[in-house]
Amino acid sequence: MPPDAPPRVLIVDDDATIREGLAEVFERSGFAAACAPNAAAMDKILAERGADLVILDLMMPGEDGLSAARRLAGRGWPPVIMLSALGDDADRIVGLEVGADDYMAKPCNPRELVARARAVLRRAREIDPVAARAETMRFAGFRLDLARRELTDPDGVLVSLSTGEFRLLRAFVERPQRVLTREQLLDLAFANDTDVFDRAVDVQVSRLRKKLERAGEGELIRTVRGEGYLFTAKPTPG
Amino acid sequence: MSAKRSRGLPIAAHLALLVALVFATAFAVTLTIILALPPRPPDVMRSDQIVSDFVTGYRAAAETGRAPRSTRMRWAVRTGPPPVASLSAAAPVKAEIAQRLNLPPDKVALTGDFVRRDTLVFRVQRGHAEHIRQMEVHVATHITREKTAGAPDAPTPPAPPSPPVVVGAPPEPPVVFAPAPPNVTLLSGFTLAAELPNGRWLVMRQGRNDEEWGWILRAALIVGATLLALTALALWFARRLARPIQTFAAAVQAVGVDPKSGAVAEEGPRELRNAAGAVNAMAARLRALVADRTQTLATVAHDMRTPLMRLRLAAERSPPDQRERIAKEIAEMEALIASFIAFARDDPTSEKRVRLDLVALLQSVADDQAEAGRDVRLSSAESRLVIVGQPLGLKRLFTNLIDNAVKYGARADVALRRDGAEAVIDILDGGPGVPAGKREEVFKPFVRLHEHHGDGVSGAGLGLTAARSIARAHGGDVTIEETQQGGLVRVRLPIEEPIPAAR
Repeated sequence: MPPDAPPRVLIVDDDATIREGLAEVFERSGFAAACAPNAAAMDKILAERGADLVILDLMMPGEDGLSAARRLAGRGWPPVIMLSALGDDADRIVGLEVGADDYMAKPCNPRELVARARAVLRRAREIDPVAARAETMRFAGFRLDLARRELTDPDGVLVSLSTGEFRLLRAFVERPQRVLTREQLLDLAFANDTDVFDRAVDVQVSRLRKKLERAGEGELIRTVRGEGYLFTAKPTPG
Repeated sequence: MSAKRSRGLPIAAHLALLVALVFATAFAVTLTIILALPPRPPDVMRSDQIVSDFVTGYRAAAETGRAPRSTRMRWAVRTGPPPVASLSAAAPVKAEIAQRLNLPPDKVALTGDFVRRDTLVFRVQRGHAEHIRQMEVHVATHITREKTAGAPDAPTPPAPPSPPVVVGAPPEPPVVFAPAPPNVTLLSGFTLAAELPNGRWLVMRQGRNDEEWGWILRAALIVGATLLALTALALWFARRLARPIQTFAAAVQAVGVDPKSGAVAEEGPRELRNAAGAVNAMAARLRALVADRTQTLATVAHDMRTPLMRLRLAAERSPPDQRERIAKEIAEMEALIASFIAFARDDPTSEKRVRLDLVALLQSVADDQAEAGRDVRLSSAESRLVIVGQPLGLKRLFTNLIDNAVKYGARADVALRRDGAEAVIDILDGGPGVPAGKREEVFKPFVRLHEHHGDGVSGAGLGLTAARSIARAHGGDVTIEETQQGGLVRVRLPIEEPIPAAR
């Protein structure tokens, strides 16, 4: 994909109105959109033209979205956002566990979907696909389940994270031992919140630090004066 | 299922088998020990020996006035004669003693439990040479000696059988028949008494038969070994019977918690197999029901949310002010649908239980709410409180309660503290609270305290119902408490006993 070409999004949904409506929203936001009514058509388009991102409906006639997402995740490309009429936490976890990069419940704010699509694309460009697909990451005795958004401490106790804390920790874990500026972190962890300021990043970092304190081996998130923050551990998938 | 019914014995048959086994074992153990060990040594003494012992003892007592000491006999001096039953077989012995002591016959008394004149027979078994030989020598010696000497009334008291004259007894004699010599009576359990010159009575009783200790030990061995064997048998049997019942109970429990868990094994006694078959059939029906329900709910969700999504996309084409209003209505409708579906599919037992930090969980819920622009604050007396629970379920519990507090009371002040073995979470809002008479009613499904006041405040009346069912599934509860100001909802959850930090 040439760097200045518009990102190509493939919308897979059995409902024509939704397909076309989403295509319109994405086109208006500077994407090149294609549509497919089912998984078979999706495969055909991916084989012929390819795509940078797939928006995948969960419940479709024929092969369902979960199975299609699992296949795409096995291939490693392109990234997938599941768009589903099932909105429970449990459904979201199932979607993320089969390898979807993000999960949104219908009805959603179309602009938020576009923002998430951008975040997923950015992450997919930046992160090694293996790490991006890893379900869990380990560091300093902690275990971070990326699908369930659960952090388990070295004692085996689950330490719940808020949505912001989880996104922040995932940004750190995926970019370890690298200084991340407040702007970068805002971008990575608060993609959909336009009214979050630098100060909020500091607040989230200090909360996250408190929850990671139990590692007992020094600071996991180090402040780099004047620059930003650095995640000191080296996480491993699994 | 019916094919499997024929296999396995009913419990009654198991019990009958146990009883039969118990009897057989007890009998076998007893018989084995009786046959394997030597017979009970004879408890009889020869009358000539008794007479000479008594005569010696009497003479000594007549001099000292005290009872002589001896291990073979038990002596005592009394004021009167012991009660005596007349025994014809004892008469010659009595007469002999009276004659030897120069006493009138009525000053001598003799009684015995066993007085025989006939032949004494011993069976000596191969393999117990040593024990048997001693015994056999003990009795047979005197008999033979007398036979050879031909003098039944030896004047000197026969010494204990220290110089054993082995009479034609090979090391392991097959069987020895030993006839009692003439003029000798064999006595057992006797009491012999005679009046001393001072008018008191000297009483001599048969002492303890030292040979008997072996026999007593053997009896103890029989009882002990039988007890041991029966205990082992009973234990084995109880375990055999209990194991399938325990397995069954655990499997039924698992099916009760999650019908998708594996089938209950149809094994053990017949009754249990039948029960397991019934439970499996029930679990299959439950699974079908759950699958039906899940499918129905998914279809309902799809059919309700797809038009909402279409509407939401259509709103994108409307002018911004209209779009926001439509979006808000859609969001509200979506929240209603979500609460219905969550309630309908709610299965508080299905999520896995893990050890989790309740403080971090509450913190994350409060933070998420605060980030969504709501007035939610958390204060915790603890920095960490580990409980065993379902992370998603508990998050939903607290999200529901905080939602309610914000919806009806404008804000939520959440306070966590520890009360003994419980975590107590108070959620205080700024609203009018719940009147005392309605504090239980609001937990019923679809009961709403505040009727629709149109703007923004709505709900299906399921939040508290779901919250309470989750709390109760954790062994806790949700209650509405009396308070001075605002509404106070209290959650109690049991705390896991502190485990020393395992690293």
